[in-house]
Parts: sequence; C-alpha cells; structure tokens
Amino acid sequence: MKHTKMTLSTETMNLGFVRKVEALSGSSVRRCFQCGKCSAGCPMRSFMEHPPNRIVRLLQLGQYERVLAGRSIWYCASCETCTTRCPNKVDLAAIMDALRKLSWDAQGPSKESYVQLANRLFLDNIRTYGRQYEMRLAAVFNVKSGQFLKDLMLGPKLITRGKLKMFHQKNRNLAEIEQIFKRIEELRKKGEAP
Amino acid sequence: MTPAKNLLTYSYYPGCSLHASAKEYDESTRGLFKALGIGLKEVPDWLCCGATPAHNVDELLSLSLCAKNLSLADGVEGDLAVACAACFSRLKVTQHHLADSDAKRKQVEYAIDGKVSFDKPVKHLLEILAKDFGLDKLAATVQKPLSGLKVACYYGCLLTRPPEVPQLDCVEAPTIMERVVGAAGADTVAWSHRLECCGANFTLSRPGVVLKLSGEILASAKAAGADCLMVACPLCHGNLDIRQKEIEEATGNRFGMPVFYMTQLLALAVGVAPGKLGFDSMIVNPLPLLREKNLL
Repeated sequence: MKHTKMTLSTETMNLGFVRKVEALSGSSVRRCFQCGKCSAGCPMRSFMEHPPNRIVRLLQLGQYERVLAGRSIWYCASCETCTTRCPNKVDLAAIMDALRKLSWDAQGPSKESYVQLANRLFLDNIRTYGRQYEMRLAAVFNVKSGQFLKDLMLGPKLITRGKLKMFHQKNRNLAEIEQIFKRIEELRKKGEAP
Repeated sequence: MTPAKNLLTYSYYPGCSLHASAKEYDESTRGLFKALGIGLKEVPDWLCCGATPAHNVDELLSLSLCAKNLSLADGVEGDLAVACAACFSRLKVTQHHLADSDAKRKQVEYAIDGKVSFDKPVKHLLEILAKDFGLDKLAATVQKPLSGLKVACYYGCLLTRPPEVPQLDCVEAPTIMERVVGAAGADTVAWSHRLECCGANFTLSRPGVVLKLSGEILASAKAAGADCLMVACPLCHGNLDIRQKEIEEATGNRFGMPVFYMTQLLALAVGVAPGKLGFDSMIVNPLPLLREKNLL
C-alpha cells in the first residue's frame, strides 16, 4: 500500500459534504473509530486504492475530493459484509451508495464508473419493460462502454439452453411503473426527496 | 396468514431471473412445491425489484419498486414466497426501512400512489421448507435420498445480510441450507467461502472481478472435497456456473463442479422426474455426477 501524507487544515476540511453523505445514507460517518474490521472482511479490497475504513477516515477529515476521484467506491459490490461486522453500527454499504450517487451527480460517468452505467441501463429496462431483459442489457452495455465483443462467446451457449431470451414480454401495468419514475422525479424537483 | 386447512398456500414472487437465465430455479421450485403439496400462486404483473442496481443509483426508486410489488402481492392469498436471494433481500429491506422512517414511507406512498403494506410476511423458500413445512416432514417425504452426494452450501451475500433484516438464520454462521439439504440425505461439507461475495453484478461491467472472487469460491469448495455447489441466488449461479469455464482458463484450475439450485436437489430427492428440473440448462453438466451417485 502506498503511503500518502494527509494534510489537515480548516481549508481542507469540509464537513458539509459529510452531512450530505449522512443524510443520504441514514448512517453516521463520524461514529467510525477506525478499527479496520470493514476492510479486513471486504472481498473487493484488492481492487480498491483506499480500503473502506480509509474512505471513512478521509470523509471524517473532509477530504472528500480524494474519495470521489478514486476508484474504490465503484468497486464496492454491496455485499454488506462491512455493515454486518461494524462494531459501532456504521452502515458502510449505505455510505457507499450515497458516495456513488454524489459522485455521479457531480462528475457524471467515467471509465471507473462502468458499473454504474450497467446499473442505469438496468433501471432503464424496468422503466421500459417492467422487468429485466438480459439480452438487451448486455448488448446496450457493450455498445455504450465500447466493448463490442465482450462475452460474445457466452451468448450462443446461453441462447441454446434457453437462458437468454431474444424477445421480451412487456408487463401489463407499464403505465403505473412509468408513474413511479415520474413521481419520484417530481418529488426531487420540488426538493421533497433526496 | 396460513389458512386453517392442512395445506400450505403462498403467493409467489419469482423475480426476473427465474423467467430467463434462472428458469431451472423456477421449474424446480414449482416441481418441488407441487410434490410437497404446497400451493404457489404467482403475483400478477409483478415488476423487477431493482436488485442491487436500483439502490446503487436511486434509493427512493429502489424502495418504491419493492413497495409496489408488496402492494400487488397483497392481492394474493398467503405469505409471500421468494426464491431469489436478491429479491428476498430487497423486499425485506423495503419493509424494514419503511416501517422505520415516516418520511421515507410518505415519499414512497406518493410515488406508488397507494399505501405501503407491512403485514404480509416475506419468506425465502428455505424458510418455508425448514420452518413452515418442517425438516422432519421433508425428510419423511424423501424417496431418493441424496446419500453420498457431497454438497457445498453457498449462501453468498444477501440471504443473511444486512444484519437485522432477513432474519433467516445467524448472520455470520448460518446452517439453514445445510439443514434443509441434509434432511434430503445429502452430506454437506464444511468449507471457508460459504458467505463470501461471488462478484455480484460486476459480471456485466467487470468480469475480471467475478473471475477472481468466484474462482476462490470454487477452489475453496473443491479443497473441502465437495462434489457440487448448492445456491439460492440466480446471480451467484450465473457467476459460478456460466463463468466456470472462463475461471478455469484464467486460473489454470480444473473444477468441473456442477452448481445446483437448492430446489433442483430437493425436488430430485422427493421424486420429481429429473426431466422437469432443468438439468440440461446448466452449463457445467451435472448428469455424470448424478449418475455416479445413482440419483438418476
């Protein structure tokens, strides 16, 4: 692990951001006492440059730019191991959700946030069809991420076993589903939802 | 919610995967429940629960999609039976969060234009088999014991986590899968990676992550002497079965480890015809193993 020096001054501290994370996640950031149990159990640790406990420490110090600039938040698998094991009830998985939302809202898509592109296409499918349409999800993701040939060899295997459907049946209550999306957008516009 | 008569009846939320990449999970669930005399009635017009992607992007949307499903399920008799670990987790998390926060509940009620329902118990199939139906009764129904089959029960993340929500079993050392398949006569192995993450939905965006994490799970099961894995999550199944050949190529290990849905093994044990259990849909062919153990 590379050691980087942290500079701490009133200029570099920004607790306003911490409050935003706490409001979005419903979890305290400031309760963390750095025992490191979250990082010890994190299956994605080897893909991250800041382990989960250091993400929280950086937030406590107000150094959120370093968190948002890094890749760690995009490699969290939402497995909830950290939240399960935290001895001081910090919901790290929820904090990661909040960080991904804030990062995407502030800086939009990046190469590191590929997983969020996939997540967003997943939601598009719900809005359009009511249910997942795996074939479309994989195809659109490959096109949008510029990896046209990714998993090309898996397709035929799955289709012949009936696991990947070429066509999709739409839900009958699509209008109601569209309403859910619209009403949430409406709440946000009015500032009545985070 | 269980009716007074002897028969158990449930409303059923299959989730998207069970109509597509995990159709063998759906087929074997229906086969098993029919053989056990448990009624299942699919919730009409259910929609995608949003799984992990929804809460990653938009928590309010994630809660609203699940709340809509819960209100649709209210119209069908019986507790809600859920097969997929992710759907199970999301539906329970929604009930838990919305009971906890009036502000969130109000936002969700506006979004779905209706009341949020908390009354209907959401139950994973494992819970129904172990608690409602009962392990003794299950053992008594077995016609073809899975004796000699060494099974590594794989829980993954969402059957037991987050803590306080699923209440299925102990969050760090669950045994419900071992107890259920053990009642069907299988030998379960003790192994290290029962609760480790398989790489989840990185399978689409970063398959390399899945190759590493799922590779470690397969290696751990093999080291413990397992013949096969047993899962209750379509995403875990995809990562461990569909990507197993790639994992073998990437790691140089040879596993050849069939990955069964728990209902496939149980249905086989209670005498459902093997042709109805979707074994031909699996990528790692399980038939040689089942023949070797005299289960076909």
